[in-house]
Amino acid sequence: MSDKPLLSCRGLAVSPGEDVLLSGLDLDLHAGELVALRGPSGCGKTSLLRVVCGLDDPAAGSITLDGHDGDEMGWPCFRRAVSLVAQEPLLPAGTIGAALARPFAFRSCSALAFDSARAHAMLSEFFNVPPAFDKNAGVLSVGERQRIALARALLLDVRVLLLDEPTSALDPDAARRVEIAVRTRAEKGLTALVVSHDPTQAERWCDRVVDLASYAGGAA
Amino acid sequence: MTETAPILSWLDMVAAAGLLLLAGTVSLILRLGLEKRLLVAALRTVVQLLAVGYVLRFVFTGEKALIVAAMAAVMVTAAGHAAVQRSSRTFAGVHLIAFLALVLSAGATIWLVTGVVIGAEPWWRPRLMIPLLGMILGNGLTGISLCLDTLLERLDERRAAVEADLACGATRWEAAREPLREAVRKGMIPILNSMTVAGLVSLPGMMTGQILAGAEPLQAVRYQIVVMFMIAAATSLGGILVAVMVYRRMFNERHQLRRNLICRD
Repeated sequence: MSDKPLLSCRGLAVSPGEDVLLSGLDLDLHAGELVALRGPSGCGKTSLLRVVCGLDDPAAGSITLDGHDGDEMGWPCFRRAVSLVAQEPLLPAGTIGAALARPFAFRSCSALAFDSARAHAMLSEFFNVPPAFDKNAGVLSVGERQRIALARALLLDVRVLLLDEPTSALDPDAARRVEIAVRTRAEKGLTALVVSHDPTQAERWCDRVVDLASYAGGAA
Repeated sequence: MTETAPILSWLDMVAAAGLLLLAGTVSLILRLGLEKRLLVAALRTVVQLLAVGYVLRFVFTGEKALIVAAMAAVMVTAAGHAAVQRSSRTFAGVHLIAFLALVLSAGATIWLVTGVVIGAEPWWRPRLMIPLLGMILGNGLTGISLCLDTLLERLDERRAAVEADLACGATRWEAAREPLREAVRKGMIPILNSMTVAGLVSLPGMMTGQILAGAEPLQAVRYQIVVMFMIAAATSLGGILVAVMVYRRMFNERHQLRRNLICRD
């Protein structure tokens, strides 16, 4: 692990509405690191992930990837590298195959091509019986959507993966599959920031746990 | 040969009011309790149409650019207001967007039709322009309101899908393209339906009016074709303008969806 962090948050304040939920947050993520975020419900974990990938603006502070922020890199390029998988992801209307292939049509992902065989292999890591590509994505359960959205992000070879309760709708076997898939890729350099309500999962799965309680509230 | 429509006297109006007695009697017999509402509605019809008749006579005989412009402004403002009324979602600045879209789409098409296609001198001749503008706005506001409603609904209810696209590197345009396309499509459906069944299911109102007024049917048909094309052009242009302006407002230059702007009624 090099000394220079991949993703660096400095003096971050998160305030999705009127209230400041988090402030003064300094967080460094190194390449290949798997970090869990801990804190009570409503403490701003999801809001923090949204801010880190730039879906919302921070109330204060900065986020950089390799020393560059989203304004320098261009936000689509930044998010293509620092990608969020929501707790209850919504897939585009159409088939599972189309949902998986969709980001490859985005300009920021144009260097990559959708590899159907690789996508199949990816899904079999997450599912005991992977769903067919021509199945309608609109009828999937939350747990299925979580895994497909995660597979999609991994297919894009993102550098930092932000996972919001990625196993909240999964049975223990499926949750285990998710943990293994992410861990395997972390060994090859993927960095992940995970929100998890399950303390044993955080301990078991992640390299370290950041407690957000020490950054709660305060003035932005 | 063209014959002009017979002149209607006030006595004829009283006779026509007799038709309402029929409706009133039905209401009484079936105890629908609609007599009073029928009377009020009838009075409103008379008063509103008479008022508009006097206004039109004043505007038509004067042929003053300023007066025509003022009347057009009132019509566009009323249409813009109506276009945003029916939507269940709204945001600050929606009135201005609907108004601008109507002004630009109606202005461009009306000028093309009266000035270029019909070749009126001046192009804003009120007898031609005011009724045509009325038809454009009546249809345009329906199109714009459908487009607006659909777009806001998609951005609100399918927000997670739009943000999922943004979160894996989509530009705001890539993330918004499908909601935008759906919204413009939705706005165009009514005029496409009217064009498809024109003459088969219904005789369009303007054509009927011209024929009643003694115009040669084929001339009336030509006018109706121009009007249909004009409405189609104005509605699609208005829909696209609204969609693009809402898009510019809902997404910022950091490619974020400004979801907090949308309020539900």
